[in-house]
Amino acid sequence: MALMANVNRADRMPMSPTPQPAQSPRAELRDLRISFPLPDMSTLEVISGISMTVAEGEFVAVVGPSGSGKSTILRALCGLLEPSGGSVLVDGKPVSGPPPGVGFMFQKDALLPWRTVAGNIRIGAELGGVPGDRREERVASLIKLLRLDGFENAWPRQLSGGMRQRVSLGRLLAYQPSLMLMDEPFGALDYQTKIAMGKELLSVWEAERRAIIFVTHDIEEAVALADRVLVFSARPARIIADYKVMLPRPRHMRSMRGDPAFTRLTEAIWSDLALPE
Amino acid sequence: MAFTKTTSGATPSSTPGDQPAIRRRRSQWRSSPVLGQIAVILALLLLWELASHHLYNPFWGSRPSMIAERLWELALSGHLWMHTSTTLQEAGAGLLLAAAVGVPVGIGLARAPRLARLLDPIIMGLYGLPRVALAPLFILWFGIGLISKIMMSFTMVLFIFILNVMEGIRTIDQDQLDLMKSMRAGKMYVAWTVLLPAVVPWIMASFRIGVGLALIGAVVGELIGSNRGLGWYVESSGGQLDTTGVFSGLIVLMILAMLANYLIGFIEKRMIKWR
Repeated sequence: MALMANVNRADRMPMSPTPQPAQSPRAELRDLRISFPLPDMSTLEVISGISMTVAEGEFVAVVGPSGSGKSTILRALCGLLEPSGGSVLVDGKPVSGPPPGVGFMFQKDALLPWRTVAGNIRIGAELGGVPGDRREERVASLIKLLRLDGFENAWPRQLSGGMRQRVSLGRLLAYQPSLMLMDEPFGALDYQTKIAMGKELLSVWEAERRAIIFVTHDIEEAVALADRVLVFSARPARIIADYKVMLPRPRHMRSMRGDPAFTRLTEAIWSDLALPE
Repeated sequence: MAFTKTTSGATPSSTPGDQPAIRRRRSQWRSSPVLGQIAVILALLLLWELASHHLYNPFWGSRPSMIAERLWELALSGHLWMHTSTTLQEAGAGLLLAAAVGVPVGIGLARAPRLARLLDPIIMGLYGLPRVALAPLFILWFGIGLISKIMMSFTMVLFIFILNVMEGIRTIDQDQLDLMKSMRAGKMYVAWTVLLPAVVPWIMASFRIGVGLALIGAVVGELIGSNRGLGWYVESSGGQLDTTGVFSGLIVLMILAMLANYLIGFIEKRMIKWR
């Protein structure tokens, strides 16, 4: 029932137009190249010249074959990985070391097992510069938003996979990033939970409009959530297609699946990736 | 209709993914093992007592009733407390000092792998060295007072802390550290929120192992050169062919180690609730 309430809340929101690229994009990759040294002295080229921009408030999904370096670009964007060539810019500034306002979420929840649900979310608030007297308020509102009420003092080991990822999302939101990097965040969840989490993410995003780069191997998930879908080739990765998703917002996970536009787009991406029917 | 719907009653409208809401630990009620443990100990003591009457001369192996009598005398004269507290102070101070030095050193070495590799032969060499052999040296350097025994306990336990903490840090999920890094967490913040809590179980395990070793360090120090302490009492009783005295000292040492172990187990349970 709580889920239905969420959808209704989204329904009441005014339809916002697809965001226009601002003067300075939130994130930009210019001819990014990344290769790793191999033990036999050769190098493995993972990314071979990727250029892309993410506008303020834009939701960009990245799909591609596994091992194609989708996650690698996220690590480069948050300064965890030095590129071998090209440049990485966040808010117009070249990235060296983790830039401010960029939050990361992995497939693994990476919760601290010795911190409660509230304690884990509070980490985001502490590091995101939320002033001390407003942290508890921020944490409490996120717990409510992510429907974790009653579990504030639960330990991570006591939670289901879906709940753990919600806590992880809560920690990310508490950090108040202006760019959210999400690396297959729902990849380890079962199908139903994944759909539920997608709805959750959309309702949060529609309310706050923070730019997102969402890496996934699930084509339908990418189309259902994003404004734009970038299709990566197999390694070394290049961008082989860049689709604008014209589906209206707010999106409805169920009815969308019957929408011909949805089907056409997913079909197009399937064939880009040259996957057998 | 292409298919028939056979769900009866309520439709599954609850939120998916939330079914196993909270896995409560089954409160396992086991009958307390304490009574059984005490029974075994009493049975062994009884066997010992009987054996000393019928199988051997108590001059060689004493007997529980004589030991109990001796402990009672020692307690009344105040000597029991004097020796026990001396040994406790030595072992306790050595143990705590080893933790205070070993934990930061372990964290530091784990975070500076180059330095750790550089020092590895030295650490393993010192760890492998039978440190009881250092006792004569420490008596020479620090005299026959408390300090030499504290240093003995300290060297016995130090490496347990260093090596355990290093291993504990190594088991930390790299994702957790990357996440902290991506949120621009400072070194001290990471140390307090990730590194230290992650190694608490390893520190507690070190204490568990360390209690026995710290007692060994203190007692060995006392055997070699001292004028008080349980080790000294055992040594001087042995010198007078007083087996009852030797066993009295040994029994008190055993009880100390047992009590310390229980204490650490109790603290461990309090500190690591999240497991």
